[in-house]
Amino acid sequence: MASIATPFEFKQCMGILKSTGKKAKNVKELCNYIGSVSDESIFHHTYQYFLKEHVLEYTNDFAHWVGESLEERSLSEQLSNVDPYDFETIKDVRREFQNVITRYLEGSPEPREARRGDEFYFNETVTLVFPVGIWVRNLAEFLMAMKVIESGSIYYHFYEARVRVQEKVDDFSRWIAESLGNEDLAMHIRSIDPFMHNVEEIRHHIADAVEDWIRKDMERMVQSP
Amino acid sequence: MIANYNGIAPKGDLILLQKLAEKLRSRSFLHVNSTKEGGGVAEILQRMIPIFQSLDIDARWETITGDAKFFDITKKIHNALQGNMETITDEMWEYHFELNKQNASTMDLDADAVIIHDPQPGPLVTFKKRGTWLWRCHIDLSNPVKDVYTRLGKYSGKYDAVIFSVARFARALKVDEFIIPPSIDPLSEKNRDLTQEEIWETAEKLNLPQDRPIILQVSRFDRFKDPTGVIEAYRMVKRYNDCVLVLAGSPATDDPEGAAVLALVEEFASSDPDIHILLLPPFSDKDINALQRMATIVLQKSLKEGFGLTVSEAMWKKKPVIGGAVGGIPLQIIHGVNGFLVNSIEGAAFRMRQLLNQPRLAQTMGERAQESVRANFLITRQARDYLAAWYASENKGATVLELT
Repeated sequence: MASIATPFEFKQCMGILKSTGKKAKNVKELCNYIGSVSDESIFHHTYQYFLKEHVLEYTNDFAHWVGESLEERSLSEQLSNVDPYDFETIKDVRREFQNVITRYLEGSPEPREARRGDEFYFNETVTLVFPVGIWVRNLAEFLMAMKVIESGSIYYHFYEARVRVQEKVDDFSRWIAESLGNEDLAMHIRSIDPFMHNVEEIRHHIADAVEDWIRKDMERMVQSP
Repeated sequence: MIANYNGIAPKGDLILLQKLAEKLRSRSFLHVNSTKEGGGVAEILQRMIPIFQSLDIDARWETITGDAKFFDITKKIHNALQGNMETITDEMWEYHFELNKQNASTMDLDADAVIIHDPQPGPLVTFKKRGTWLWRCHIDLSNPVKDVYTRLGKYSGKYDAVIFSVARFARALKVDEFIIPPSIDPLSEKNRDLTQEEIWETAEKLNLPQDRPIILQVSRFDRFKDPTGVIEAYRMVKRYNDCVLVLAGSPATDDPEGAAVLALVEEFASSDPDIHILLLPPFSDKDINALQRMATIVLQKSLKEGFGLTVSEAMWKKKPVIGGAVGGIPLQIIHGVNGFLVNSIEGAAFRMRQLLNQPRLAQTMGERAQESVRANFLITRQARDYLAAWYASENKGATVLELT
């Protein structure tokens, strides 16, 4: 494989958690605070949900709390269905969550309150971004790197990039398309559903896709006269 | 020194720690608490200060001095902040402040960043010279006695930021509130690997049988750790499973209630030869390490807890831990995955019986427990977080900080 002009630099992000001091003990309070807390808090509880080591059947902290602490399964399913990357701004995201909750409350009996100590605590993060000292120039190096980088790096480049990058795509597929000229592989990576996998599964899917492409490319080279 | 954690701590933690240290190189970083021995805070600072120093940060650790009256007052404050009714008079508050004022006159409080640990030295911020001051609270503040919280709160507003161990401890304050859980040092005497000979040596020294499962709880003798509840749970289990209970603790110089609780526990144990109550001298780290490694199951059946460092210690040694669902314990134990959370004596007894009868479950839980601690609760992560809180406080308003 030929070297390319623009190497890919792996970075990683880690967050230091901050409390907003606000907590909700029931669904109505959750809805009200979703409307008033900072953008950083909404970002943390939605976009940054996938930084966590384990993911249950939820896709954001609101759904997780409603499902686990309040046992409102139907509402937690509806909240899990909100994809923040579908929206242009955080304001739109918070409005959607509020709409989901409001519609639910209109058609359902009053949900119970959380037990003391089990309230929803609104937090936010200060995110620190740093290079991990790995640069790759081609797919083979990219594949090796994918196997060793930490989950915080996968999260930064696969999830957080969608908010950071104007085209709203992940860093990996963008580099593969723009720097390597490999649109097919890029599209394959873009088709990986971010909500249906945790970060480690994302790693395996990407590594498998790249390895598969490398193997097929080598087979083509061998078969060519 | 950081290189010693290669292969143990996550690489990203080590890289970020070094990046932050580059930004803060040669700057002074002072920590102040109330005791150099006993309790989790002293234990962490003993290990963390050298880590900062090895990264060329001018870190130092000072302790305030106080008499029995002072520590009696601060223990009442501690209990009240954890929700227990205590009478603290104006005279006692004044004494608390005056002792701190005396300490301030003899201590060197000049530093680029200062972290004051817990309420004992809280008023020192009144004598701040310069720099970024952070108040680090290890206590469960989720349901404090209001008056006590208000009186202490007048100091918290003078800090640049406050640090809590768990989000649910945080309050609505006018300053930034960081959430930084405590941690363990995998290389310390308390947590390093031990040989089987070292473990047997402790068992022999402490006269503990090795032919039956050991149920262990390691804590200060404090009513919030529910030692009598642990004994009751053990008695329920003993009906079906022959085992030995060990309650081990060390005194802390800033805890005047320990002796009374110990006496209560000894009486409750009623001379049962299979209940071993051990009052270990301070710095019995290797013996505690050995106890945790020889245990079959570890308990931390707290009724109130700040963080519960002993939970992570035991998890690091691949032990299944049964913890009270309070304080920072649910932050460490994912129920049913790497341990069990319980809410009652009966719950603890049930999980003890379950683990004693399902050794494969215990083993799997223990392995997951170790990896969970590696990812979240090692000292390198906490050192990183302290530097990050300092750096973020100096870059107020920034939500993303790029370190090149």
